[in-house]
Amino acid sequence: MKRKDLLGLRGMSKAEITVILDTAKRFRSVNRRRVKKVPTLRGRTVVMAFFENSTRTKTSFELAAKRLSADTLSFSSSTSATKKGETLMDTARNLDAMVPDALIIRHPATGAPHLLARNFPWVVINAGDGINEHPTQGLLDMLTMRDHLGDLEGRRVAIVGDVYHSRVARSNIFGLQTMGAKVVVAGPGTMCPDSMAHLGVEVRHRIDDVVEDCDVVMMLRVQRERLGRAMMPSVREYARFYGLDLKRLQKSQPHALVMHPGPINRGVEMMPGVADGEQSVIMEQVTNGVAVRQALMYLLLGGVDSGGEG
Amino acid sequence: MLYLSGGHVCCPLSGRNAVTSVLVDGGKIVSVGEPAPQQATVVDCQGLVIAPGFVDLSCEMGDPGETWREGLAHGSRVAAAGGYTTVLISPNTVPTLDEPSRVADVVSRAGQAPAARIGVTGALTVDLSGAHLAEMGMLVEAGCMALGDGARPIADLLVLRRSLEYSARFGVPTFLRPGVPALEERGVIHEGLVAARVGLRGISPASEEIGVGQIVSLMVNTTGAVHLTHVTTARAARLVENAQQEGLCLTAAVPARHLLVTDALVETTAYDTAARLMPPLRPQHDQAALQQAVRAGVVMIGADHVPWTRVEKEMEFSDANPGAVGLESAFQAAYTALGDIGVVVSAMSVRPAAVLGRRAEVVPGAPADLVLLDLHAQGVLPRHRLSHGVNEPLVGLDVKGAVRATLVGGRPVHGMTAEGGLS
Repeated sequence: MKRKDLLGLRGMSKAEITVILDTAKRFRSVNRRRVKKVPTLRGRTVVMAFFENSTRTKTSFELAAKRLSADTLSFSSSTSATKKGETLMDTARNLDAMVPDALIIRHPATGAPHLLARNFPWVVINAGDGINEHPTQGLLDMLTMRDHLGDLEGRRVAIVGDVYHSRVARSNIFGLQTMGAKVVVAGPGTMCPDSMAHLGVEVRHRIDDVVEDCDVVMMLRVQRERLGRAMMPSVREYARFYGLDLKRLQKSQPHALVMHPGPINRGVEMMPGVADGEQSVIMEQVTNGVAVRQALMYLLLGGVDSGGEG
Repeated sequence: MLYLSGGHVCCPLSGRNAVTSVLVDGGKIVSVGEPAPQQATVVDCQGLVIAPGFVDLSCEMGDPGETWREGLAHGSRVAAAGGYTTVLISPNTVPTLDEPSRVADVVSRAGQAPAARIGVTGALTVDLSGAHLAEMGMLVEAGCMALGDGARPIADLLVLRRSLEYSARFGVPTFLRPGVPALEERGVIHEGLVAARVGLRGISPASEEIGVGQIVSLMVNTTGAVHLTHVTTARAARLVENAQQEGLCLTAAVPARHLLVTDALVETTAYDTAARLMPPLRPQHDQAALQQAVRAGVVMIGADHVPWTRVEKEMEFSDANPGAVGLESAFQAAYTALGDIGVVVSAMSVRPAAVLGRRAEVVPGAPADLVLLDLHAQGVLPRHRLSHGVNEPLVGLDVKGAVRATLVGGRPVHGMTAEGGLS
């Protein structure tokens, strides 16, 4: 891969995405072997810097790095740079002094990975920045869809929930559009305003408007802490208009996939039975997450070939 | 005694728009279009425009409290380098300019500014908190040339109303930034296509537009002059125009950079915090409307100079302090965007001076606050200039025009030696 970093799927070409997904597929088969570890990144140091809570993404990246034989170092900080007294740039300068090869960063501020990518020589992989992007999630979602649906060209993917504030949604929108899919979004007007159409997506008003004609229904997590900010009246009202239940799912096409980036609020955006139902590919998403992250580190860190570079 | 020879005098107030010469002595313009007296030092101004110096009504210099950002003395030189001969500093210093003795101190230090003249805007409300009225009368006695709360809109409409009514008695204009804080909360760029693409929280343009509407409605109770320091959307400009047509004493300024770049800059510079501004950069539609409003004389041009150093700007986009340097690039931004020197001089010299009750003109008897401009200069805006601020969003853009020299009270303060040599 020619690029230094993975900051987002916005602006990434179809060819690049295809290479990543194809490579991930190869790693997925390696992950099914009894011995899962390959020496690809032996001697390389991958730092996980998580400035925001994460369980799934962090363990997935960590496992991916370990399966490539990289040395990993991880630190978490829930306080933002300005409150803590040390700026993000100063933290990064200190890390830089320890000569890492790659940094996986999750940060509450949009653009934080871009700031580091611009200022330091090591590979930066965005593990979620603010409300902007979560590109590895977008990639693992597309890999999962491709497994079941084949070519994504012309496919119709619905994203339901707090689309505006979702980095998962944004990465999926950019990636899927590049791959030729149509994205349809639905959610409350406060979380999925009509102006989302700026992004080239079709905005529909209720979940009932999207389940019937879509190949994928991707449900987003409801953040309960948003209730107080005049975003929605109540959880039960949300579930009534935007939750996916079995009755609604019955109206979908038989091949339609149900996806969720996790963690699920059962009984809010997803009713019991849906997440574990036949159409759900949620656990495959998790499996693919490790493979996609292995593929990215392999492609960006150059694998064995450039292991000795200065 | 300086004889500015053979320049193109651009003086919208007197209507003079021709190649001629200007004689300066004793801090004033002595004559225009007369031959040079023998003892005068002749400055060859061939190919240059001679215009009244620019006036800016709301810039920040971090003095008192954050003098590393600029400071009054250095800020005065920065202003002169941008062709400004008078600038007013906003009261959002540390501590704020809401206390008469503090204001008196700043006014006295500003009086010793080495280059451009510096005036002071006193606070409308204590601590700029929008809650209690500041001692406006005493602030004006202490030397304030205007009253305002800096970049902070007053959220409480009753306090806003009382501020307008009360300030109008002291003979100075009231400066306001129109806005509704509740609609700006957490937003960092214009809410629109670019915000949706780059994943930053948007500020609804309704904030500024409702802000203008509130002020216009509340002005009906007063006769005082109100100046809006930042007007950046098409609808806001239209509201200002309507109010002016109604006969209200309302003026407004748009930052020069808003005429040249749009919110797309946030995307092309990949979250460079120099583009983190308040009000934010707007899309093309607003920009075109503001350019038109400047041409029509509805809106004037401000520098919106808010210098920050690396410490305050080298960080995550949403955490960085809003604002950009502007004094040194405002003319180039405005001239590049508008391409009409008469319009630019009206909007940067004549109309801001008029807000302060002054006439910016090149006529005998007027103060010799002048700028010499080269309209043929062309180049890329450099990263480092005189300002201590590093936050220049226009860096690297192709711009037209250049400030060649600035005179304040007949004294060369930028680009010219005391002997009249242009550098």
